[in-house]
Amino acid sequence: MTRSRLLSTVGVIVVAIGCGSGKPQSASAQARSPEHAEVGAPTQLALLSESPQPASGHSAATIQGVVRLSGTAPQRALVKMSADPVCQQQHAEPFYSEETVVDEQGGLKNVFVYVKQGLTGAFPAPAEPVALDQSGCWYRPHVFGVQADQPLGIINSDATLHNVNAKPTLNQPFNIAQPVKGMKTTKKFAKPEVMVKFKCNVHPWMSAYAGVVDHPFFGVTDEHGAVTISGLPAGTYVLEAWHEKYGTQTQTVTVADGETKPIEWTFSTQ
Amino acid sequence: MRPWSSRSPFHPAVLTHCVAVTLVLWVWGSPSLVAAERPAPDLGAGKDAYRQHCARCHGATGRGDGVDAKRFYPRPRDLALGVYKFRSTASGTPPTDENLFQTISQGLPGSNMPDWQHLDEGVRWQIVAYLRSLSPVFEKVQPAPVQLADDPGPARADHAKGKALYETLGCAACHGSAGRANGPSAGGLVDDWGMPIRPANLTQGWSYRGGHDPRSVMLRVLTGIDGAGMPSYAEALSPEEAWHLAYYVTSLQEPVHWNLVARAVRVDDSLPSAVDDPRWAEADRTDLQLDNVVNATGEWASPPTVNAASLEAVYNDEAIAFRFTWDDPTQDLHAPHDGFALLLKPVGSEGDVVTLQAWPSAGAPPLDVCYWSAERGTAWEAVATDFDSVTTPSVSTPPFLQSASGYQDGRWRMVVQRALHPNHPRGAAVVTTEAFTSIAVAVWDGGNPGSRAVSSWIDIALREP
Ligand code: HEC
Ligand code: HEC
Repeated sequence: MTRSRLLSTVGVIVVAIGCGSGKPQSASAQARSPEHAEVGAPTQLALLSESPQPASGHSAATIQGVVRLSGTAPQRALVKMSADPVCQQQHAEPFYSEETVVDEQGGLKNVFVYVKQGLTGAFPAPAEPVALDQSGCWYRPHVFGVQADQPLGIINSDATLHNVNAKPTLNQPFNIAQPVKGMKTTKKFAKPEVMVKFKCNVHPWMSAYAGVVDHPFFGVTDEHGAVTISGLPAGTYVLEAWHEKYGTQTQTVTVADGETKPIEWTFSTQ
Repeated sequence: MRPWSSRSPFHPAVLTHCVAVTLVLWVWGSPSLVAAERPAPDLGAGKDAYRQHCARCHGATGRGDGVDAKRFYPRPRDLALGVYKFRSTASGTPPTDENLFQTISQGLPGSNMPDWQHLDEGVRWQIVAYLRSLSPVFEKVQPAPVQLADDPGPARADHAKGKALYETLGCAACHGSAGRANGPSAGGLVDDWGMPIRPANLTQGWSYRGGHDPRSVMLRVLTGIDGAGMPSYAEALSPEEAWHLAYYVTSLQEPVHWNLVARAVRVDDSLPSAVDDPRWAEADRTDLQLDNVVNATGEWASPPTVNAASLEAVYNDEAIAFRFTWDDPTQDLHAPHDGFALLLKPVGSEGDVVTLQAWPSAGAPPLDVCYWSAERGTAWEAVATDFDSVTTPSVSTPPFLQSASGYQDGRWRMVVQRALHPNHPRGAAVVTTEAFTSIAVAVWDGGNPGSRAVSSWIDIALREP
């Protein structure tokens, strides 16, 4: 019956470990290059294949971004999971919302940074999926990037029903049930769209955001607000930083071959 | 005033003949309704028909903002968004033309969306073409019909398998384990239009909008209800399994009797006073549909949570006992607490309360209110011109009534007894064998604060065995 049908699909995937451990997602161009691959990088399902970087060689530029929040950061809200004992049981410690996460220096986590304008040429979507895991009744990662047409592997690691209600406006929405632990569904978004929101109706505290872009030059800030986008061809670009609460900011940057360019963004609580 | 007191549209003489009449449920979803012949699309004709029939609810441009829109729960659909609930297609893909034709032809029972059976089939098809033109989704995305299996039929449907699926698939998270819309996630749902939404009470087949037959239920499970938060299970169970589940869900539906006259059965000895007294099984059941009282601006404060109540009644020489049953997703024993009122129209009162939606209102006559409070676990009776003076018993010490109650898995049952000819309160309604007495009910759900659901008036008749 259901179980066997579901589990057969599950057997073939390599589930990322360490989800939600706080490791940021780096730009996929970087993550895919073996020397940079981070252990436990939450969003790469399979880091095994070595597809070439779009602008390989030493001539490519790197953006070293830092995103900060000025003003007093709001308290992280305690997430109440008592509605579902399966969720509750997985958190011995209080669990806090990931909406606004800042470190002592004001580094803002979970900002999606990507090249909005200035790229030429096409960047074929990687075949390896990005993973979105539902574990501890939480989406891991909370904010991530994916290329248009790149597979997105959605996994339920909880022994309770989750539904994945994706609400894009440019892409095709869907709302699918994943009632059984280990169930996996692969979806793709055909068009660039920043951002696509995911929510779970069963557990209304769960939400995730995906930045869908048609190139690999994107990243999500880590707990120190840092993000690296590498392999970028020399040129002038409009970069955008998106945060779920504080909105978007853009900057125009020019990078030369081999350059590593530091960039800062500051969002304000006001 | 005549003894019949009620100014309901039904004359008592007619009523005696309709005693046994119950409204028969319409079976939705028969594929035969889909017309074989379809005219060439003519957007102008479709638009004209839309303006004439649909715009008052769905708005002139289909944005769901017609003049009547705010009065309804759920709201009329914003057709420009292109999100459709009742489809035979995969989640996120638009409905087929046949799905739209079926929705228009059969309406959405349990909502304010009427059926348009009386319009020419050709006109209905033109409206379908016009609806498609309102949202770009029909151009951009092709409907992807879900894969279906053959109907095993009721005899071969596996009940145990269906029940097991209901559990493993987590239907209970929203719908509750007995289907009474009381799952742990039922309270926090919001639809794509930003309105709070409640899961369907699966025991109330009449409230399913997309049809309560197994085929319709099977489609809902496979396609999900887009916009409403109910996910598609197409990837979680096979089309064959979907049938077993659908047959199980339909088995949860309880038969309903929308009687216009509720009959009380006579017993010689004492009246049943417990909610589970076996004698209740011998009494006739009458179901009452409830509507939430709308606020002053005519808008819904929140989605209704109590949609129906049923009653059985038994009497002897002195008194009458009622057992009321209603589904309320939350048991609220503290303020704001659950409550229930049986209203009786005293004979001979001046004027009339045509509908409880409009009571209290200036100049309306008093009504006899038997009110039960979940907080106190007791019931009392008062003759009043509004609810507040009864529900807040500090005003006077009303005559207390014998009552009993119990709550289990989303369902209240409450028994209340009152004298046929009460000595007090003054002006209390008399229930006799000579005439019908108009009764109605009102229900408060503490979990849905500020809401009050009321029935329309029916009559109670004392029946000799
Ligand atoms: C009295 C108000 C009213 C009128 C008149 C009305 N509708 Fe509706 N309609 C509704 C409501 C309310 C809903 C939402 C029901 C729901 O969400 O379950 C709805 C929903 C719909 C839907 C969405 C079905 C789905 O699958 O999601 C369609 C299509 C529709 N109406 C078409 C029409 C057409 C065509 C007409 C005219 C021929 C019409 N309606 C007239 C109230 C109305
Ligand atoms: C995330 C919550 C959720 C889950 C899980 C869920 N449902 Fe629903 N369901 C709803 C909501 C909300 C509605 C009411 C939709 C509306 O009012 O438009 C509904 C309505 C229904 C209806 C009535 C459809 C109609 O025609 O009006 C059926 C039947 C149904 N669900 C069956 C199921 C079954 C069977 C399952 C498990 C396989 C299930 N649901 C799981 C939320 C859910």
